[in-house]
Amino acid sequence: MTADALLAQAVRGWLADFVDNTYLNAQEASADGYESTRWDQLRDLGWHAVTIPDHLGGGDATLTEACVVAREIGRAAYASPLLATMRATVVASGGAGYFDALVARIAAGAPATLVCPPDRTVTATPVAGGFRLAGEPVVVEWAEVATEVVLLVPAGGDWVVGVLGRDALDGRVSAVPSVDNERIARVALDGVVVREAVTVPAGAARLALAGANLLRASLMVGGCADVLERTARYATERVQFGRPIGGFQAVRHHLARMVIATDAARLMVDDALERLAEPAVAEVALFTAARSYVELVLTSAQVHGAVGTTTEHVLHHHFRRAKAMRSRTGTRALRLRELHDALVVHGEASQW
Amino acid sequence: MKAEHLEFLGELRAYLDALDPDLVAATRAEHIADAMQPRANGRRFLARLGADGWLGVSWPAEYGGQGRGPVEQWLFAEELCDRRLPNGLLTLNAIGPTLMAVGTDEQKAEFLPRIIAGELEFAIGYSEPDAGSDLAALRTRARPDGDAYVIDGQKIWTTGATVATHLWLAARTGEQADRHRGISMFILPMDAPGIEITPILTQGGEQTNTVFLDNVRVPAGARIGAENEGWRVLTTALNYERMFYHNEPRWELRQLRDWAASAGLLDDPVVAETMGELAVDVEICRLFAQRGAQMLADGQVPYAEASANKVWWSELRQRICDTGLDLIGEAGTVAGPTGPAHGHLEHGLRSSPVWRFGGGTNEIQLDIIAQRGLGMPR
Repeated sequence: MTADALLAQAVRGWLADFVDNTYLNAQEASADGYESTRWDQLRDLGWHAVTIPDHLGGGDATLTEACVVAREIGRAAYASPLLATMRATVVASGGAGYFDALVARIAAGAPATLVCPPDRTVTATPVAGGFRLAGEPVVVEWAEVATEVVLLVPAGGDWVVGVLGRDALDGRVSAVPSVDNERIARVALDGVVVREAVTVPAGAARLALAGANLLRASLMVGGCADVLERTARYATERVQFGRPIGGFQAVRHHLARMVIATDAARLMVDDALERLAEPAVAEVALFTAARSYVELVLTSAQVHGAVGTTTEHVLHHHFRRAKAMRSRTGTRALRLRELHDALVVHGEASQW
Repeated sequence: MKAEHLEFLGELRAYLDALDPDLVAATRAEHIADAMQPRANGRRFLARLGADGWLGVSWPAEYGGQGRGPVEQWLFAEELCDRRLPNGLLTLNAIGPTLMAVGTDEQKAEFLPRIIAGELEFAIGYSEPDAGSDLAALRTRARPDGDAYVIDGQKIWTTGATVATHLWLAARTGEQADRHRGISMFILPMDAPGIEITPILTQGGEQTNTVFLDNVRVPAGARIGAENEGWRVLTTALNYERMFYHNEPRWELRQLRDWAASAGLLDDPVVAETMGELAVDVEICRLFAQRGAQMLADGQVPYAEASANKVWWSELRQRICDTGLDLIGEAGTVAGPTGPAHGHLEHGLRSSPVWRFGGGTNEIQLDIIAQRGLGMPR
């Protein structure tokens, strides 16, 4: 067994000990949306800090290992600040050592989040002592819980990586209900001045974001895999007209389409992880994983029928998470225009 | 991609770039018009590659190949596909490897050196008027007669029969009720007395054929594999066939891009959104093919994976032509090279039905994915 497979097994085992639909329902209904004691366990296991270098207190591993963790989290439909924390870490780590103190605090267990509106609706302008932000309020994952808030927004031709102190956000964060079991808040950033920040070239920002997005894509690949497994099992167990419904060609073809969509997402993410210097591949992977996850839950709901729509079935978490995670990647049309520009106009990825 | 694979690709590209441009252009034009049957220029092109040692990339050295792996073989086909040039199709990629696996020493000696030299072209004789997806219902009969067989029957959709040197034929040697247990495989020279070919012209301009077999006499040595055990030979060949769905969709998307650029619409939001998603699907298509090659390299056989590749490839190609013409609008009614995208998209759309049903219908492929891949009941 490879090291990655062992890691996946360990994370899956840890989650299996306490995560089921009843637990997910209870957490979603709870005040905080997650158990801080479980966060402490995650921290002790080091799975929140996989990519952080050894000297800053992390696991000193690669993005591939972090994506293994994200995939298992996604498979379990488990909501926590983990994804947001890992995404913030990847972006802060792109600051060439400037944010080492923050990264070390994350390694020590501080939950973090990333402010990077996918449709670039917030921009930064240089002012004395920092950068002033402008734009409409944005939705940020786990903004209430996060003690560290990392920012990645465009500033003219360059981008700004910055840290937003909690005091700068005072009175600007208001919790809003989420479509899925994750926690979100609306954050008003207009007029905020970011004092702790560096500019990075657009290419570096794109690479950092690609890394962060591969974590989200991996989480969605995990979601696809779980939905597929559950649906295949159900199709062999559910009997109608005297036979398992998986024996009907119409149902088999639904399942085959789910396999194809899952494979597409997984292959694309795996390829992107092997080609980290090519952000276009990660962008394709993010789009593919999101599209597949939504396709999977819609088809799975059809195969399950009414039973899949009840809050007693974990599918209701996947169903909502799929669409919410897709939406967190921004407007579909804008993503497609960017992909067109990268792949078709500029010949990135493998269109050569 | 590993460094050794990139190096191989570099060598291959350098070789192809240095070929006689007139031969390449003529071969490409022929291949675009009808990709399923290499004719005069395609044969010259393949013979050139054969003479230069570039056919049989993954064939073992003992059969004259380069002895490289399935990943290199995939890259080879991918590159030729990208240049819209023939890569030896089923003769080199399916018949050759099947003969290596199940042929006698005499058969290997007779056919393999000529296949790898690019001298032979096989047409595939599986389908019959009443045996399509249900191939085990085929009725063409091969009767033993002394040390020979006498074959009677009819094959249909035998693409390439008029340009082929040989026919790869499935015929019944057992009882009709034995279905797949009563079939044997044969190789017939196309000029054998008693073979008569009637062309069928398809809407895409590609020619296919009906092949009538009337008292065709072949020696017993023309049988491939044991008598009545041809099904295994046939499925071996079919599995090789399904591994060769490459990135034609990328080429078709490029035609659409050329149209958009010439129409000044490359930045149009609707064009961009449509082409952006097609480009994503082209990336995925490539990975499905690469996975099949990698599995072979790892000593595994892709079944459900090959089926997924085929379904994705065929639907995507058709979708690029179809939605491409939607973007083009009324001008898309102009046929031929003077039309938009050089006519490739309207031609592609006319050709596209066979992509979805040929080589095993997509419905059969989806069943393979659900049954072999996921364990769904029959």
